[in-house]
Formats: sequence, structure tokens, C-alpha cells
Amino acid sequence: MLNKKLLMLLGLALAFMLVLAACGGNDDAPAEDPADEPTEETDEDAAEGEAAAGGSVILGTSGEPVTFNPLYSQDTASADVIDLIHASLLESDENLELIPMIATDLPEISEDGLEYTFTLNEGVLFHDGEELTAEDVKFTYDIFKNEDYTGPRAGDFTELESVEVIDEYTVTFTLNEVDASFITRHTYGILPKHILEDVPVADLEEHMEYNRNNPVGAGPFEFVEYQDGQYIELVAFEDYFAGRPNLDKVTFRVFADTNAELLAFETGEIDWMILPATELATAETYDHGRISSVLALRYDYIGWNNDRAPFDDVRVRQALTMAIDRQLIVDEIMDGRGEVAHAPASPLSWAYPDGVTEFDYDPEGALELLAEAGWEPGADGILEKDGEKFSFEILSNDGNVIRRDIGVIVQQMLAEIGVEAQPRQMEWGAFLDQINPPNYDFDAVVLAWALALDPDPTAIWHSREIENGLNNISYRNDRVDELAGGNKRIIDQDERAAVIGEIYEILAEEQPYTFLYYPEQHILLNNRVEGFTHHPRVNMYKLNEWYVSE
Amino acid sequence: MISYIIKRVVMMIPILFGISVLSFAIMYAAPGKPAIMNLDPEIPPEVRESQIERLGLNDPIPVQYVRWLGNVVQGDFGTSYSRKIPVTDMILDRLPNTLLLMASSLFIAAIIAIPFGVISATRQYSLTDYGVTMGSFVGLATPNFWLGIMLIMLFSVQLGWTPVGGVATIGAEFSIIDRLHHLILPAFVLATADMAGLTRYTRSSMLEVVNQDYIRTARAKGFRERRVIYKHGLRNGLIPVITMFGLMLPTMIGGSAIVESVFNWPGIGKMFIDATFQRDYPVIMAITMFGALLTVIGNLIADILYAVLDPRIEY
Repeated sequence: MLNKKLLMLLGLALAFMLVLAACGGNDDAPAEDPADEPTEETDEDAAEGEAAAGGSVILGTSGEPVTFNPLYSQDTASADVIDLIHASLLESDENLELIPMIATDLPEISEDGLEYTFTLNEGVLFHDGEELTAEDVKFTYDIFKNEDYTGPRAGDFTELESVEVIDEYTVTFTLNEVDASFITRHTYGILPKHILEDVPVADLEEHMEYNRNNPVGAGPFEFVEYQDGQYIELVAFEDYFAGRPNLDKVTFRVFADTNAELLAFETGEIDWMILPATELATAETYDHGRISSVLALRYDYIGWNNDRAPFDDVRVRQALTMAIDRQLIVDEIMDGRGEVAHAPASPLSWAYPDGVTEFDYDPEGALELLAEAGWEPGADGILEKDGEKFSFEILSNDGNVIRRDIGVIVQQMLAEIGVEAQPRQMEWGAFLDQINPPNYDFDAVVLAWALALDPDPTAIWHSREIENGLNNISYRNDRVDELAGGNKRIIDQDERAAVIGEIYEILAEEQPYTFLYYPEQHILLNNRVEGFTHHPRVNMYKLNEWYVSE
Repeated sequence: MISYIIKRVVMMIPILFGISVLSFAIMYAAPGKPAIMNLDPEIPPEVRESQIERLGLNDPIPVQYVRWLGNVVQGDFGTSYSRKIPVTDMILDRLPNTLLLMASSLFIAAIIAIPFGVISATRQYSLTDYGVTMGSFVGLATPNFWLGIMLIMLFSVQLGWTPVGGVATIGAEFSIIDRLHHLILPAFVLATADMAGLTRYTRSSMLEVVNQDYIRTARAKGFRERRVIYKHGLRNGLIPVITMFGLMLPTMIGGSAIVESVFNWPGIGKMFIDATFQRDYPVIMAITMFGALLTVIGNLIADILYAVLDPRIEY
């Protein structure tokens, strides 16, 4: 009897759940507060044109943010939120040129290039209503110089000697040596001294009370809440110095997986996401969304282990590049969305050279070069030298479909000139372990570099970086070492571009990498979102200018 | 009985210790290093070195293990390398979500699988039996992530009945309906794999029971067949099935990792996957130990239930 009742109860429960599933569909519209329009702003906006105040957007993000403290962030999920909460002296615009943010102008730089003087806007307020002054700027930058600072950015400030408050709105940075890249170090958010001055610098990284629970900045949006694994909620900061943002609310929704994120976009649950190139075709079918594409500040490459035969021979590397039809890779794998690369730079950078040596697709020429290097076809058609077959492995990381496909397509192209290439994929962590010091255990890798705003090539190409690992292909060239070593000491941008250009020319000629392409990056956004500016590096660029149309 | 339980609980200590040594060793033997040790062009090597030094990752592995164990004994599972927050907080934050998902899926599995198992057993070799058997194997063979995506495509994208993921509507007030609405699909998907096994298990257990003498006696007494099966049969047939639940607990952590990713469910399974890719040792160890604890406790509960339900068994 008891069991019968139990079964009935269970059956009822099941039926109940099914009914729930069937009829619950309506209360699922994305959370949108048709919030009240702030009156004083509405007039102004109406005068400007179409931008209507109010509304909210939900942004998809694929990572879990770690910290909302700009001095310690190392990941894009954190950086995206930080860029909305905090304001910095300068920022880069969509053409990657530095423009003032809370500074009134670009800094005045002294004749000797050692002193940078910034004037701040008056009336820049933190979210708690305190004014941001030169004291806060000094406080923030002194943390980088503090010996207890545990964050990742100390290396950016080795040349910084001191920060001096001249008056409430003027601050001077003094360097001990000329550093042409120093100007790009002013995009860190300014921290509020009045909140954090009593926290010892050694404890600041794990000071979660500020970093995670209650970050206060002077940026366009105020932090409300972070629910681990779910969402981060921000609201417009009414007193943002450049004017209240149009939107009332911005929510980041955290996704574990790109498929799930794309489905949420499809059903209208999110308004914005970074679109992987592999999903372009799917996203193009959406009526309610549009795709924005710009060139990314990065290049993709195949790195040859320069320490290992046969890749230690420059002719072999050049021949391999000539045997790989990079335009075909862009067309077939990247859907034509990118440009063939010839140098380790980006067309977006001011240091991008006007012209460098280019190796176009030429399998015949490749064979000639290889013959010159001593490689002749053997009995089975595979090239041989001293009884050794030309056979090697192309390594890439697991789960990256594009790199896997590049491995396969390169295998086919090289097979045509009698070179045997075997693509292999490894889990990311194990992959990095294998290709980096002290192992350096690879023939060729498919990888990419995301570039910094400053084009200093030292960290990747200087021979002293072999041991540190970024130059893990063991490229050595004395001239490159010499030029790279001095490039940061040249203040004049044209002169510096010439020096860096010479480095690029050497690299383009010697082909330590086969530079594959400069890829585009894509953002998928709902048609209701207007006023969007696509910045190649900063996802949240000018989000305060976005607005929604219903 | 009490002394048996105490003995078993005491025995857990060396078992968990052994598991911790093994997991620690395997984790360090796996290729790759914590993500913070990876090269980042924007972080100079000396800064990285000092971070690694501070975390004690340069010490010999036994030293690291002893330090870890010392902290764990005091209830401190350390701070996540990549998230910079105490691991205990991270897990406690998400554990309720995972437990909710696991409990609901066990519930769904039970209410679907047990009746089907019984029907399948009482009508052995009938068309229904073959149908249920077939269905079980299809369920067993269907990968969770695939089923999950298919159901999302159908119910969320095409029909618009359920949300594509998450635990609750963002920005909405807490409501049980909203929670259940988000829960139903992932719980069902997680339940499918267990459902199949459970059906088969109930079936074979019931088959054994219905051939027992006391069932024949019950029938001989003239009880209705339903009463014979559900009162006399099921009661005994369920004993081994209930112990299955104890043993299913740990496997659900593994299954939930995949379902949590597909449905964007903020639980510890998803956290475990992230931690593994980032080689976030403190998090990996904490969740592994949690899984180990769940396994030994699950076993213990299964054994106790066995004795409780079957008076013939005594410890």
C-alpha cells in the first residue's frame, strides 16, 4: 500500500514537472528593465540626435573574472569589467592611437624624454562621490613601484623613477632612462587613495573586499554585484565626468562554452558576444543580429625550431614558406577573413613596415631552394639528405579547430613537394610545457601572437629570450639583438619605426616563422544595440555611448 | 551496528589519505604546469619567477604535499592560483547548485527507471520488455553533451519553452518556478545515463524476486497480481537498487561536469574542468578529495541501507 502511494506521488511529481516545463516559457524574456529615463539627460540626447537614454544590455563573456583591480588583472574577462568601472589617464582609440581620458591632453614630455607631465580634468568623481585628483594618480603608480607589489606589471615600470604631485590636477612622472613605450603605460585604471591607502601593498592582490566585492573607480559604470559562475551587474554612473552613459544597466553573463553562448544569443538572451571565426556561417543566418569585423592586433604563424635540423638552414625555412599557399589558407580556413602576413607586426601598428621581403607561393622555387640545401627526392618521392628523410611533426593545441585544419592543409601542401609533415594536437597545458624551456621539444608549432600597443619586438626576438621562453624557437641574430636592445631608447617615433622596420625586414628575410596571416576578429551583436564602436583590443570601448532601440 | 559505522568511519581516514597521496602524485606527474607559470609576453620572466616562488611551486613535491596536507587538516584548502580566492569559498559557493542538480536528476532517474524496470521484469520477453531494454541501451549510448545540445535546440531555440542555460533568470527576483524552469532540462539530461542503468538493474533484481517462493505463496493466497508485485515483490527487489544510489553519487560528479558546461550551470563540475585545464592544483585537489569523500560516504550509506532494509544482513 505504502509503495503504491509513493509511486502515485512520484508520478504526480513528474507530471507536475512536465507541466512546468511546458507552460513556463513566457517568463523567460531576457531581463530588461524598461527603466525610467533620467530627465536631465534625455533633453541633451534629444538635441544630439537619436541616442536615447535608458535600457540595458547583456553581454556574453566566456571566462570568469578574477579581479576588478586594474593593477592585478591578467585576463580579458577581468579587463572587460575593469574598463567599465575604472578610468585611466589615457586610452587608445579604435585606430590604436592614444587619446586622453581623464587627462585633459596627451602628456607634456620634457626635451630629454624623462619627464611626463599630465594635467587632469577637474571634477572627475569616483563612484562614492570623492574627486579624483593627482594624489590618486600618484597613489596608483606608486603601487607598481612598491617592492611589495605582487602583480604582473612591475616590469612595465622599471624605468619609472618617481611620481610627483605638482598641484591637485597636475602630476609628473620622472624616468631614470628614456623609454619610448612608457606612454602606453597610462591606460591603467586609477585607484581611489581614500579607500585603499590603509591596505598594505603586499595584501592588495588578495584584498577581495575591494577587488571583488566592492570595486570603486571613476569609470562610466558602477559595480553592483558579481555572482560567481553566473553574472556581473553594473549600472550607469550618474556623475561620470564625460556625461552619464546612455544605458542604465550592463550585465555580463558568464558562459562555460561557446556553443551555449551562441544559443543564448540566438534566443535573444544576450546582446553581444565575441564570435569565433568557426561560427561565422551560423551567425550569418541570424536575422536579429549583425556581425562586426575588424583586423585584430595579432598575427598567426608556424614557428620552426631554429635549433633543430633541417630548420636551422635559412633556405629550408624560406622554401617551406614558399611551399605553403597562405592565401589559400586564409580563403579556405578563415573564410577569406584576414590578410596574408609577411612580418611579425600588424598592419594596425604605426611600426608596420611599408614593404618587406615577401615569399609568394612558389612550389617550384621551393624545390630549387631545397635542392640547393642538399635535399633531393628519394625512391619514394620524399626528399632526402644524407639518408635522412624530410619528415617532421606540426604541433598545435587541442580543441583549436583552425590550427588543426592549418596542420592538415599544410601537410597536403608540403606533400606536393615531397616533404612529410604530420599534424598533431596536444592539450594546451601539456603543449606549452613541451614547446617551452627547458624542453623545446618540437619541430614546428602553429600559434599566434596577440600584440601589445607598443611594438617593441625584444621579448620575442632577442636571443636572451631563448632561455626565458618567448623566443622558444631559438632564433639568434646579432643584428636583431643590437637593434632590439636600443629601440626603446629612441623617442622619435619615425626614427624608432625605422629601427623596428629593419628588424622586421631581417625576420621577413630569414623566416624563423612562416608568417601566416593577420586575422580578423568578429563581434556578434543584437540589432537593437546602437552606437557600437569596434576596437581591435578593447572590447568595452566607449560602451557609455551605446544605446538600445526597441 | 553503531560500532560498525564507527569502524567504517575510522577506516575512511587511511583511505582518504591514500587517495590524496595518489591524486597529488598523479596531478604533478601530468604534463603541464599551473597556468600562472605559462609564458605571457606582457609579464616579464622575473615577475613570473617571483609569483611561482611565492606559491611554493619550486619546492620538492613531497614538501608541497606535506604543506598541503598540514593546511587541509586545519580545514584550509588553500587559495586558487587562477582565481585568487580561498578554494573553500569557491566550492561552497557552487556546491548547492551541483547538489541540486544531482538530487533532481537522481529523483528523475528513480521515478522513471524503477517503474519501467518493474514492468520490464513482470512482462519478461514481452514487446514492452524489449522496448524498455532497447530504450535503456539507447539512453546509455547517448552522450550527455549531445543530448543536451539537441534538447536545447528543440526546447529552447525552436519551441522557446525553456531558457538555454543558467540557474535563474538574470536580474529577476528569486522564484521557485523560475528555478525549476532552468533545472528541468539539465536534470533530465544528467538523469538519462543513470536511468538506463537503473532500469536494467531494477529489472534483473525484480526478475530474481518474482521467482522466489514467497511470491508464489502470495499468489497462492489469491492476492491480486498488482499487490503481489508492488507490495511483496518490489519491496525486496528494490533493496539492491537502493544501494545503487549510494554508488551512483560519485559518478554523478563526473557526469555533471559535462552537463554543467552545456547548460552553463555554475556548479563544481564545471569548476573542476577549468581548474584541470589551468592546472590550478589547490582546486583540483579540493574537488578530487570531495569526490573521494562522496565515494566513501556513498559506499557506507549503501552498506548501511542494505542492513536496514534487509533484516537478514547484520554487521
